[in-house]
Amino acid sequence: MGTMGRAFYAVGFWIRETGQALDRLGSRLQGNYLFQEQLSRHRTLMNLFEKAPSVAKNAFVAPNASLTGEVYVGPSSSIWYGCVVRGDVNSVSIGSGTNIQDNSLIHVAKSNIAGKVLPIHIGDNVTVGHSAVLHSCTVEDEAFIGMGATLLDGVVVEKHAMVAAGALVRQNTRIPSGEIWGGNPAKFLRNLKDDEIAFISQSATNYANLAEAHAAENAKDFDKSELEKVLQKKFTGQDGEYDLKAGVVG
Amino acid sequence: MATITRLCRRILPRAQSTWVPGRDFSAEAAQAAENPAPPAPLIRESPDRVKWDYRGQRQAIPLGQWAPKIAVDAYVAPNVVLAGQVVVWDGASVWPGAVLRGDLNKISVGFCSNVQERCVVHAAWSSPTGLPAETLIERFVTIGAYSLLRSCTIEPECIIGQHSILMEGSLVETHSILEAGSVVPPGRRIPSGELWAGNPAKFVRALTHEETLEIPKLAVAINDLSRSYCSEFLPYSTAYLEVEKLKKSLGISI
Repeated sequence: MGTMGRAFYAVGFWIRETGQALDRLGSRLQGNYLFQEQLSRHRTLMNLFEKAPSVAKNAFVAPNASLTGEVYVGPSSSIWYGCVVRGDVNSVSIGSGTNIQDNSLIHVAKSNIAGKVLPIHIGDNVTVGHSAVLHSCTVEDEAFIGMGATLLDGVVVEKHAMVAAGALVRQNTRIPSGEIWGGNPAKFLRNLKDDEIAFISQSATNYANLAEAHAAENAKDFDKSELEKVLQKKFTGQDGEYDLKAGVVG
Repeated sequence: MATITRLCRRILPRAQSTWVPGRDFSAEAAQAAENPAPPAPLIRESPDRVKWDYRGQRQAIPLGQWAPKIAVDAYVAPNVVLAGQVVVWDGASVWPGAVLRGDLNKISVGFCSNVQERCVVHAAWSSPTGLPAETLIERFVTIGAYSLLRSCTIEPECIIGQHSILMEGSLVETHSILEAGSVVPPGRRIPSGELWAGNPAKFVRALTHEETLEIPKLAVAINDLSRSYCSEFLPYSTAYLEVEKLKKSLGISI
């Protein structure tokens, strides 16, 4: 850089520093000390002393999910946005091809009234719906937990069973294979038809594919995502919605 | 104590360091002795998986050529994840912790509507009714906190109570209110001007005309609240300054 270039750079630097100092001054006047805060300190995979999560390489873990403690996630599984999987007190193991959908909570108990503390085992190809709450339960392969369901301590969901949306499954309930349980408290609703059982494994596969797309997108670094934004603006044609917004009729 | 643990972690091999003294006496050990749990699968931690990413979670995640569109005066909290085909129209607000996943189908949050805290809005591939399975939230709708919406259509001026679950293909007609905690089964229609509640949702009573007039007022009130949240954020964040500082301190070239 020539002398002129260096001079410009230095002046630019002074202006930036002044600007930042002014920003901090303004914040102090507002009583806002946020400028002292560091960046996002959210840790997707967080260990507690010697217990660290062990996640397979091709599993998708959303950046704002929290995996803490002793958590094992198998290959092709996905942990979606906002999930909290806490293996702090006991271990959580999630099989392969399983998807834990958005905002779910998987937690293990330290002690409960019955006195038995169980680690969580979630088998392969399980679908756990949005905002489910799983507390110290066992879910066997190819089961389906509907969205918003709450599974309390000691629940065992057998293979090919389904828990309906919004169900509250009480402690130590065993949901037998091929049945749908639902309601609050969860009761037997009906048996699963064959095509519904096939649908369960199909949905797990669908989610695994979806997870790959999300994983690729979330892993993009800043330059790549900015470049894509620019390309989008340039090359994407204006769709019908834009015309509606602009008031173009017909 | 923490230093000692860290030293131990380095010295001892991995498998041994998970042994905690005193375990033999706990209830869990007795339990494990009765029915031994299947051995935890041996998955080696991948060294290139990032444990901490200073960027956090991006708010708008484009998938392929579908990018989320947020209107200029809509408030979307920084905590929110919008993925795929999501359109947030003018005056709408999406509150912290919500996840709007338009990866399989379209999601649209209408004018002056609000999706409150911790909601999950998703759209399935296909709906059991055979109609398009997009999630359409029309104008002046209030979706209470912690709700789950999946491929449903909510017509103008409704209130969905907190922690409610609307399953695929459900239709909530205009001027109706769903109480908190209600679960609407797939394909169910909530008729216009009625109050429904329960799991599964059942008819409670018809709404009076005054109550019907209150519905858009609630949406507008929450829109006002979102204005004050919006004004807390400058048009551009100065997070990049922190990133620069961090990179400098770590010696990474900018």
